[in-house]
Amino acid sequence: MPDPGAARHVGRDERGSPLRQVTGTATGRGSYDVAVIGAGPAGLTAARAAAAAGARTVCIDRYATPGGQYYRQPADASAGTVTQRRGRRLADAAWAAGAVHLPQTNVWSATSGFRLEAIGHPGRSVIDCRAVVVASGTHERVAAFPGWTLPGVFTAGGMQALLKGCDLAAGHRVVLAGTGPLLPVVAAALVRHGAQVVALLDANRLLRRAIRRPLRTVITLAGQPARIVEAARSSLSLALRGSHLRTGWAVTAAHGEAQVQAATIARLDANSRPVPGSARTVECDAIGIHFGLVPATGLYQLLGAALEHRPEFGGHVPLLSPTMQTSVPGVFGAGDGTGVGGADMAMLQGEVAGQAAAAYARGTGSGDSALARRKRRALGNAARFRALYGELFSMPDGLAEMSDGDTLICRCENVSRSDIERARARGAATSAAIKSLTRCAMGSCQGAMCGPVLDGLLAAEAPGEPPHQPQPLTARPPLQPIPVASLLDGAS
Amino acid sequence: MTSSSAADVVIIGGGIVGTAAAYFLARSGADVVVLDRDPAPCQASVRNGGGIRAQCRNRLERLLAMRSIELWHELHARTRTSFEYRAAGNLRMALSSATLARLDSEGQEEERDGLHVEMWQQAELRRRAPYLDHRFAGAKYCATDGHANPILATWMLVEAASSAGARRLPAATATAIETRGGRIAAVGGQSPAGAFRIETPTVVHAAGPWTRQLATDAGVDLPIVPARNTMFVTQAAPPVFGEFVSSHEVGVYLRQAAKGHIHVGGVFTTEGTFDQSVSVSELERMARAAEILPLLRELNVLRAWAGTLDMTPDHMPVVGAVPGLAGYFVAAGFSGHGFCLGPAVGELLGRLVRADPPLIDMPALSPRRFGRGEARP
Repeated sequence: MPDPGAARHVGRDERGSPLRQVTGTATGRGSYDVAVIGAGPAGLTAARAAAAAGARTVCIDRYATPGGQYYRQPADASAGTVTQRRGRRLADAAWAAGAVHLPQTNVWSATSGFRLEAIGHPGRSVIDCRAVVVASGTHERVAAFPGWTLPGVFTAGGMQALLKGCDLAAGHRVVLAGTGPLLPVVAAALVRHGAQVVALLDANRLLRRAIRRPLRTVITLAGQPARIVEAARSSLSLALRGSHLRTGWAVTAAHGEAQVQAATIARLDANSRPVPGSARTVECDAIGIHFGLVPATGLYQLLGAALEHRPEFGGHVPLLSPTMQTSVPGVFGAGDGTGVGGADMAMLQGEVAGQAAAAYARGTGSGDSALARRKRRALGNAARFRALYGELFSMPDGLAEMSDGDTLICRCENVSRSDIERARARGAATSAAIKSLTRCAMGSCQGAMCGPVLDGLLAAEAPGEPPHQPQPLTARPPLQPIPVASLLDGAS
Repeated sequence: MTSSSAADVVIIGGGIVGTAAAYFLARSGADVVVLDRDPAPCQASVRNGGGIRAQCRNRLERLLAMRSIELWHELHARTRTSFEYRAAGNLRMALSSATLARLDSEGQEEERDGLHVEMWQQAELRRRAPYLDHRFAGAKYCATDGHANPILATWMLVEAASSAGARRLPAATATAIETRGGRIAAVGGQSPAGAFRIETPTVVHAAGPWTRQLATDAGVDLPIVPARNTMFVTQAAPPVFGEFVSSHEVGVYLRQAAKGHIHVGGVFTTEGTFDQSVSVSELERMARAAEILPLLRELNVLRAWAGTLDMTPDHMPVVGAVPGLAGYFVAAGFSGHGFCLGPAVGELLGRLVRADPPLIDMPALSPRRFGRGEARP
């Protein structure tokens, strides 16, 4: 019997879009063995593995169609790239194994037991389960620079979402900057779409870093043939249209009246600071910024899972056992949210986590560590890549210097760098204290955008002191804004 | 390696009460050290609803609150620091005519003490506060009451105390109150720099719900119980109301802050716990504020949090000396009323420590009223 509020797949329409039968009333209640939060590569794989192991499984996702970021589906389901079709097959496999899909639903509270509170279509849902797999991914890291709040400045991932999901290029003359393999991937996708990439900049001197330990680099890349092919494909697309990746460069300012019209780009020195005299102006109508991915820790915090700060993984990540269990029995993690490592690693982890969560929920043991052992070689390859990724694409320290006094650090609450410096002058030394005095990170995004920027400012302004150990901004329910009205209907 | 120093007064607890005491004592020339276990104020003083009111209190607290409001204005003028203090009135709502009648009697007592209030019947309430739900029978309105941003207000007082010469040791946890021959001798504790010991003849103990444990170690038994109190805040809305509005019948209070966010708090508490995680049922109870302000139904909850109150059996604070232990003054158990009363209590403590005549009826606040507020040798 499908639970109220859940969506059951009943085939596809003539355009290939999945048909979903939504059952039940506005306030959904459901009881499952395993709840998987997130329907990206990790979540879908975990849902399939848990369901295939006999657990009653629900896969809760904020988007209408599954796939997360990596397998983001096109609006027209009959179209799509090879990758997107692979993502659709992954989702279909999860539903075919018996997992229930709960789309357009955001989990905003998670308490032990476990009970998840969610909001979305249709309305409020309460999900009880015996085990949870957190596969909620990451959010993009940005840097603040003068003009970054002009219309036309996107994140690179946002540009990719527009392309994948809406077949829309963010601009005609695009600048992409930051650090990370996503930049050339998005650049290549844009040029294939017909846009011009007028500058493609990675702040890190990648080749220099890669050849620091040449043997390690070669071995790591040898274990990633698919990535080599993708990189070659991207490079070719770009080269054919006159673009190439420039390393050791960054965007230092965006200019325009009502929207972006130009960017200032500059070469960076060894401390990642703009080299005087190297600045040039590039005309553009869109800028894509991306400084890597930051694992989302809200759900882990609510559930009490222990976290550790691993900058090479993107930020704070949960401590995990070989079967992907966190420090809280019954809570498992998988995917980029446990440390940025890409889709292949996410699916390997999802397989292990889903299977272990099912075993935990059904009381049949602590998970198939034999499975974890079988996957060890693949996981090892993936872990080596993750380590290389972390080393090549680390957040350059000096970029905190790019903002000036007027630059907004917190976009939601309009807090400028000067506001933050005034708070520091009053004795606010931690991000929590600065938040209290300025309202930075107290707005709608709850610090998702400005948190890492604030940490960068604090670290940069305290040279010579012991390394700044950032704490994750405390997560409390609701994890995202929820309507007051939803708390009045269907009260427990 | 224990660092040693000395002071005239050591204040344990750097929230609004401890800091206010530091301000007044430093201004009178005492060498004061404030110990706070957090790097910056982060407990009840900065988590509360920010209400600054004199109405709807028992008489003793009313008089303290009236004095406190004078001091809040004075501090505002003297420091010229904004803490978003807005005196646009306090509205105590009445659903039933019985409640309205009770508020009317209370209003007459308040007038006798010089606190001017107005009784609004239903028609007048609808005219003067049209944004409120029409179900209420009326309200009592006090025009001189208001609210402020408790974070900025506490920081303002911390800076004022420092300017007056008080020393503040952040991230310094007091772990021992040393006595000798029935007198205070020193306070010992831990900080990131290591252990410390401060010789002093006087301790002001204003550590909220954390006062009881350490006081016990000094032989003083205080009936203070921790309790969780919750709040949430909405996304910013266009300015709609300036009053601090509360209804004990619905069980919530609310105000609109400087940038338009609406702060909602519960009148209810969960006793016996230091746990500060907000439950879904507490969120649901607070959402009932929409029964007072229908606009809330169109807004989103942005963030929720909890603070820990220090409750006494009669919900009145414990302020005063403890017989048998010379030099020890307690100021805790504010039962949710500490923020507004802070400045007046700080002034009171300054006078107590200096043995000046008190401005207020001290026995009613004394630890002795519980029959066991006496130090064990």
